[in-house]
Amino acid sequence: MYIEPIQKNIVLPLEKGLNALFTQRYNPFYYHGALPNLFLWVLFLTGLLLLVYYQPTLATAYPSMKFITYEAPFGNAMRSLHRYAADGMMIFVLIHLCRVWFTDRFREYRIIPWLSGIVLLIALFVVGLTGYMLIWDQDAVALTNMTLSGIQSLPFVGPAMASFLMGTWISGESIITNYTVTSILVFHLGLPLLMMFLLWWHYLRITRPVTDPPLALMFMLLGGLFLTAGLSPVILGDQAPSDLNVVSGKLDFDLLFTFPQYLVTALGWDVAVAWLFVLGIPVLLLALPYLQKKAMRGQYAHVVFENCTGCSLCYNDCPYEAITMVAREKNDGTRFKRMAMVDPGRCANCGLCVGACAFKAIDIPRCESPDVLQEIERSLSASL
Amino acid sequence: MVANEIKLIGIVCERSVDLTDRLDENGCLKEDATVKIIQVPCSGLIQPIMMETALKNGAQGCFATGCRMGDCHYRDGNRFLQHRLEGTRMPKLKPSVDKERVEAYWLSALEYEKLKHLIDEFRSTTDKLGLPEKKMANASAS
Repeated sequence: MYIEPIQKNIVLPLEKGLNALFTQRYNPFYYHGALPNLFLWVLFLTGLLLLVYYQPTLATAYPSMKFITYEAPFGNAMRSLHRYAADGMMIFVLIHLCRVWFTDRFREYRIIPWLSGIVLLIALFVVGLTGYMLIWDQDAVALTNMTLSGIQSLPFVGPAMASFLMGTWISGESIITNYTVTSILVFHLGLPLLMMFLLWWHYLRITRPVTDPPLALMFMLLGGLFLTAGLSPVILGDQAPSDLNVVSGKLDFDLLFTFPQYLVTALGWDVAVAWLFVLGIPVLLLALPYLQKKAMRGQYAHVVFENCTGCSLCYNDCPYEAITMVAREKNDGTRFKRMAMVDPGRCANCGLCVGACAFKAIDIPRCESPDVLQEIERSLSASL
Repeated sequence: MVANEIKLIGIVCERSVDLTDRLDENGCLKEDATVKIIQVPCSGLIQPIMMETALKNGAQGCFATGCRMGDCHYRDGNRFLQHRLEGTRMPKLKPSVDKERVEAYWLSALEYEKLKHLIDEFRSTTDKLGLPEKKMANASAS
């Protein structure tokens, strides 16, 4: 459901202010989709370096984390950058989500980016959560236990999922074992690879996705990231995990990734209620595009058969890959070999193809180009 | 001569400057009846030939507005129009067209005041240029 007042009263004034501050060329709101990518690359790079030292077993996970944090050259910097880049990515993903929602850029011809975006959001959330578990100090073990018991409490699928995450299906024991740490790491590494595939799906219907912000904005954000990492370097709990069954501790919550655990521990919510809340968010987001009547049902660009020369200008300019060039039948009365064809399901009814056409061969029903020309002529001849 | 002579034609993207309640029954600006506004869904729909037609038919100048650069609702519309007017994207604005009579502004829905200011500036430029050829021909004939 698209909420127009939010766009008029919040988003646009905010952007006006940002334009004054950054100029329209570097306004971060105009690159909301590209900015998470920047953090994704930082996460890949720092994650690769962290992986060099990380040892995913019960006995070695904590010591290796301690080595990374306090001894390895630039280890702490890598960990800090990795942690803050994850927060940065989630923040900009949420800005991206809110902005496409509030500016009505999420439904109809944009349904594929929206649906894939929600799946990407879920994947990002799980990657972040497993990242907090991998730290494997006493608090991280408590977080792992809380998450596992939460998953276990789900009806039908819960026990199987918990057994999968805990490694029970390999070790045969329903307690935390070496396999648990490894399987958390597999999730933490495997889902980002899956996200690369999901990003392909995300860009599928967009002819020219903006995947990188301008260099100046990139440096500005990377500078902010380094500054945060330098001023507030990450630390590690002093204690190696002594009790693997601990379910609560003095948890230093990062609300972006561990808010379900926060709801249960700090706010005392019932686990079932917390689950309904957590699962409700993606379900609601997936349902949003369908809660409103389509604005342009049955309207799409149409090609004027006799005029189309097959020049491909509209095909090149269409922002949603809605136009394909097809071969004309032989002897169809024209001397052209190809013509444009519009896919109604992909067409945004925007008229970019009309602007690209020099032969009056394509038009959209809500604003026919001959009508515009006629209105110009009529208004000027009346005033003569 | 009619009282409200139309001097400027504005082809306006309906997602850029919000002109609800700003137009009279002829589609001219309430504040300035010599500016005729034609609304289109996106600045990317504007064909250079539309602006050429306006000038050919005796308008003193023609301007287009689109959303802020980077914020086109349909991703590429304003950028493509800019390239067409600059002559780097097909179909181009004819090179013979007087560039001083053609303008494009990139403004968000809230920026009516700014548009008004830009239109006033545009008018003083085109006023200095004088009447376009067709009007001069008509004036001398009558």
